[in-house]
Amino acid sequence: MVSTQAGAGIGIANLPNQRHAIASKKGSNYTILLCGESGLGKTTFINTLFTTTIKTPKTYKRRFNNTAEKTVEIEIIRAELEEKQFGVKLSVVDTPGFGDYTNNRDSWMPIIDFIDDQHESYMRQDQQPQRQELSDMRVHCCLYFIRPTGHTLKPLDIEVMKRLGTRVNLIPVIAKADTLTPTDLHKFKKRILEVIAAQNIQCYTFPLESDDEASTRRNMNIMAAMPFSVIGSTEDVQTVDGRTVKGRQYSWGVAEVENEDHCDFKKLRQLLIRTHMLDLIHSTEETHYENYRRSQMETRKIGEPKVKTVTNPKWKEEEEALRKRFTEQVRLEENRFRSWEQQLIAERDRLNKDLEAEHSHIKALEAELESMQVGLSPKQRK
Amino acid sequence: MAHRIGRRKNVKKGFQFTLMVVGASGLGRTTFINTLCDADVVPKRECDEPEMAHVEEAIKIKPYTVELDEDGVKISLTVVDTPGFGDMIDNEYCFQEILGYLERQYDDILSEESRIKRNPRFRDNRVHALLYFITPTGHSLREIDIELMKRLSPRINVIPVVGKADTFTPQELADFKKRVMEDIEHHNIPIYNFPYDPEEDDEETIDENSELRSLLPFALIGCEEEIMVNGRKVRGRQYPWGIVEVDNTQHCDFAKLRFALLSSHLQDLKEITHDYLYENYRTEKLSRSAENLSD
Repeated sequence: MVSTQAGAGIGIANLPNQRHAIASKKGSNYTILLCGESGLGKTTFINTLFTTTIKTPKTYKRRFNNTAEKTVEIEIIRAELEEKQFGVKLSVVDTPGFGDYTNNRDSWMPIIDFIDDQHESYMRQDQQPQRQELSDMRVHCCLYFIRPTGHTLKPLDIEVMKRLGTRVNLIPVIAKADTLTPTDLHKFKKRILEVIAAQNIQCYTFPLESDDEASTRRNMNIMAAMPFSVIGSTEDVQTVDGRTVKGRQYSWGVAEVENEDHCDFKKLRQLLIRTHMLDLIHSTEETHYENYRRSQMETRKIGEPKVKTVTNPKWKEEEEALRKRFTEQVRLEENRFRSWEQQLIAERDRLNKDLEAEHSHIKALEAELESMQVGLSPKQRK
Repeated sequence: MAHRIGRRKNVKKGFQFTLMVVGASGLGRTTFINTLCDADVVPKRECDEPEMAHVEEAIKIKPYTVELDEDGVKISLTVVDTPGFGDMIDNEYCFQEILGYLERQYDDILSEESRIKRNPRFRDNRVHALLYFITPTGHSLREIDIELMKRLSPRINVIPVVGKADTFTPQELADFKKRVMEDIEHHNIPIYNFPYDPEEDDEETIDENSELRSLLPFALIGCEEEIMVNGRKVRGRQYPWGIVEVDNTQHCDFAKLRFALLSSHLQDLKEITHDYLYENYRTEKLSRSAENLSD
């Protein structure tokens, strides 16, 4: 190895700065998947995290327009955030309907399919001759919201988390944590971790060791808090000692979002944005995507389409609706043509009749002419 | 049967009342029962081995009986707990289990009534009221909530309650209660809503009942521990930001519900069960067997 002398450098050391400039210009894609029953504060959490209304809260006016379909939908909300001239294309994926029905068997399929589809889509685009403008919707992290029962994980939670953990960076979150006293919360977290270990659920982990002492300590703090308890609020309230904070105002006190004695929101925000956003993105690209690609390549050739095992019933319905519309339009056009054809025929018949009338008229005149001529010539001969 | 005997005899002998409690686990059902009876009636749920956490447990029906003393009146209270409701991935089975239990108690009375020689020590196990714990989502009723209340209200007095109500701020609670009642009306669910007759009843009764009706669904917080607040001992939950008191009517509706169930409306609930719900069941069942016989 040849090393240049300090002070007389050729400028290699400037490469990180250049990379910074390039990365800053390019901005970043960031996709977060929110998974959990409705009413666990997912929307509020996202709005609290980004201190802006990414997703508008639910409206109740149309809840009586009954949709008999009991499906889990995939809802994507896109936002472009910018801070100090660094831009992030944020995509938040919500899963309304998950866990909300009496029978939730297989309700995780649309979610699992969505995650796999993004890997699939990226893989296909990457195999194309032209691959400059890739659309990348691969999910960088999945926040799984757990109901604060205080007991343990439910069978449904375990089924879904097992499947999510092998495909995406899974981060378990205890929702609406202001319903648990500190002792209850501690017991609950411990039990959840026991179940996660016993059931082999893979949650997101990151390297703790770092160059400086402070970072290592901070990393260990964050890991120790998993699963993260959250309280969400976009409203400003007054505490008893006169501070204005983001929180929830009860008759018996104010639960503060950013108070670390009240919940782990700050640590989670640190993880998702300030310190580990890059690791989340990288591990998705380097680990999860590569795993997917490898497993697909082992069984498929390049360019071969993926075998679809389950068709989402919602798509079938849309297909039916489209087919109906199409058939309807074709029928309308056919009717239009038919009546036009009939008009033409009627016109032709009418013209034919006129023609015949004229023709017989001419014949009559000719006959008259002839009879007149015949009548005339004998007179002329006399 | 037993309830037709004069009131004086009852006060001495005491009343009998059976209450069923239904709701998904983690909504404070067990804690509520223990708080209601002011005793450790239902043992705390033992969480199974973490390795078995993925195993789905079917619903179980578990009755517990306690002797209570309400201001000198003895009440023999039977609480029927239903652990496992709504905990499985597919919960279609739960409704039939509960319905089956309720109807079996009616069947027992029916066969007892038709005996030539009746058993004087026969125990009436009919359930007089069902408290249904709604999950405090903050949105509106879920499918399982609607299904359960619809299917069971023809056989029992259903009273909807909101468990773990300390999850709501006062405004959120008011909005949630309003939406729940709108849902109940929209789906035509005949819950027990403290009925009164504006023509016949006196003003006091009307006021009492309309107040209770306005509190539906009752917001409940349960707690078995006592803590010190300003020098006095209260039943409450201690958070870093404050203390929630179970018996404080500003914090939740527990005290009002307890009084309605065990004092003011106990008799009404029993009468409706016997004179109306049981009679309907009896008519339906006997006409069905008459049809079967005539086939």
